Amino acid sequence: MFVTNGVRRSALAVVAAVGVMVVISAPALAQEAAKDPNPGAMTVTGSLDFLNQYMFRGIRQNSTGIAIWPAIDLGLAAFSGEGGLKSASINFGTWNSLHTGDTGQDGPSGKLWYESDFYAALGFGFGGGTSFTTTYTAYTSPNNGFTTVKEIMFKLGVDDSGKLGKAAVKPYIAIAQEFDTDIARGQADGGENAGTYLELGIAPGYAAPKASIAFPIKVGMSLSNYYELAGEDNKFGFFSIAGIATIPLGGTTNFGSWNIHGGVEYQRLGDTTAAFNLDDDGLPKKNQVIGSIGFGFSY
Amino acid sequence: MLLTRRKLAHGTRVIVVAVVMVWAGRTPAWAQAASDPNPGNLTIAAGVDFLNAYLFRGIPQDDTGVITWPYGDLGIALHSGDGIVKSIGVNVGLWNSLHTGAAGSDGPSRKLWYESDFYSTFGLGFGNGVSFGVTYTAYTSPNGSFNTVREASFKFALDDSVSLRRLSSKPYVIVARELDGQADGGTEEGTYLELGAAPGFPVAGVTINVPLRAGFSLGDYYEGVTGDERFGFFSVAGIVTVPLSSMPTRAGSWNIHGGVEYVRLGDRNAEILGDTSKVIGSIGIGLSY
Repeated sequence: MFVTNGVRRSALAVVAAVGVMVVISAPALAQEAAKDPNPGAMTVTGSLDFLNQYMFRGIRQNSTGIAIWPAIDLGLAAFSGEGGLKSASINFGTWNSLHTGDTGQDGPSGKLWYESDFYAALGFGFGGGTSFTTTYTAYTSPNNGFTTVKEIMFKLGVDDSGKLGKAAVKPYIAIAQEFDTDIARGQADGGENAGTYLELGIAPGYAAPKASIAFPIKVGMSLSNYYELAGEDNKFGFFSIAGIATIPLGGTTNFGSWNIHGGVEYQRLGDTTAAFNLDDDGLPKKNQVIGSIGFGFSY
Repeated sequence: MLLTRRKLAHGTRVIVVAVVMVWAGRTPAWAQAASDPNPGNLTIAAGVDFLNAYLFRGIPQDDTGVITWPYGDLGIALHSGDGIVKSIGVNVGLWNSLHTGAAGSDGPSRKLWYESDFYSTFGLGFGNGVSFGVTYTAYTSPNGSFNTVREASFKFALDDSVSLRRLSSKPYVIVARELDGQADGGTEEGTYLELGAAPGFPVAGVTINVPLRAGFSLGDYYEGVTGDERFGFFSVAGIVTVPLSSMPTRAGSWNIHGGVEYVRLGDRNAEILGDTSKVIGSIGIGLSY
């Protein structure tokens, strides 16, 4: 088993939104919101996902059982305008991973709650769909599966759907730096030095009235000490491609927009991440398939 | 130092209130207020408070360093009508306690995050301000200071502000049953009773609340060396809430609030604290959207 003190959070993501839920009969539920139920400056998004495997940037987090990801985010539209800076926003949120298997309830701690992350992000939107976001994240482990990792990340993205329509690929680049580390403490790889991570990705997708599908593709690399293994920093961490379908559960109602979503992700791992992903014979496994299903909402 | 390895959870933390926006002026997105920014069925309440001591239902948790309570609540209004049941709602939320002192970053764990609670409430509203709520809470300690306590609580409350206006006292009764784990670190899961009232009135643009409450053990909630003590604590507080604007804004209603609470403890809790009473000061900001 690996992970005992080493890692944390997300890979899949792709929550999406859309569609109402709670097919109950109560009047308040039934009232279709002809108007926007939330025209103010704050938004709430949340999701609950179930996965067979949790890989954080290619680093395996559990070997058995399932992972459950409850997450919620509060967004604040701080500014919108017509100048060079089109928008500014602040987001706070918590993201969690509950494990039934070896790194959770069935593990040494006997506790389900493997990971709890808090993050705060400041984002700016510019013309042409360009955005720049700075995010601070504290990755913590309530069941002491790993030591707290603190990270600052910078992400530059382009939403090219305005220009390219259905051919949009929404490319992005993200660089993350770990800080406040020590040997084998505060690092995703449990290594000797704080790491710097680079991710390049695109997220093409197609939306139809009754469903949408996305094909996120990304590559994770170490710019410095992010994928350490026996004193060597391996540059290539992982390559990932996924197919994720999102089905709205109805229109926008007084409860916001709800959806169910699910998909399959394939990851090709580098030497370090494969060494963390041993098979039943104790040999490094370079390939990993992840299945997920969940629901989300946006309000 | 009190309490290394205690348990408990949530507690005094009450009285958030709400009202009015923050970041006065500034950017266009904030400034546009006008009508209700959130007419839908979901509501958000959040805040962060700073205190000098934390007693959970009278059980001492920490009185060293600074204690910070960030919290957030998502409310869902499922039903509203004119029948016997006037309203049905569900709330889910997180409440946290971060400690710089002996129970946190200066303690054995060296970790700030002493407590994280998850709760969900199913609430029913009836006529004349009567309400009934059932809450499940999991009190957890990310820094390992106490074992997880799971609890079901039942709250019966009366909002008499419509009939009594300024004389209203908003009385309530809470009965909580520990399902797994114990706040007192005793031998048996306990049953807790709280009787309280929360009179309040507006004065010159601010709101003053004077919450009163008393906590008792109905069975094994305050276990000590001499057995289970009935009386846990009595508390009275004065809390001032100042809205940060006179009208809700597009970012909701924000406020700053602060106050002082006096807590008189039963023998069992006083023995842990090393004193029969405690004065707690707090200040914080709150949001309602």
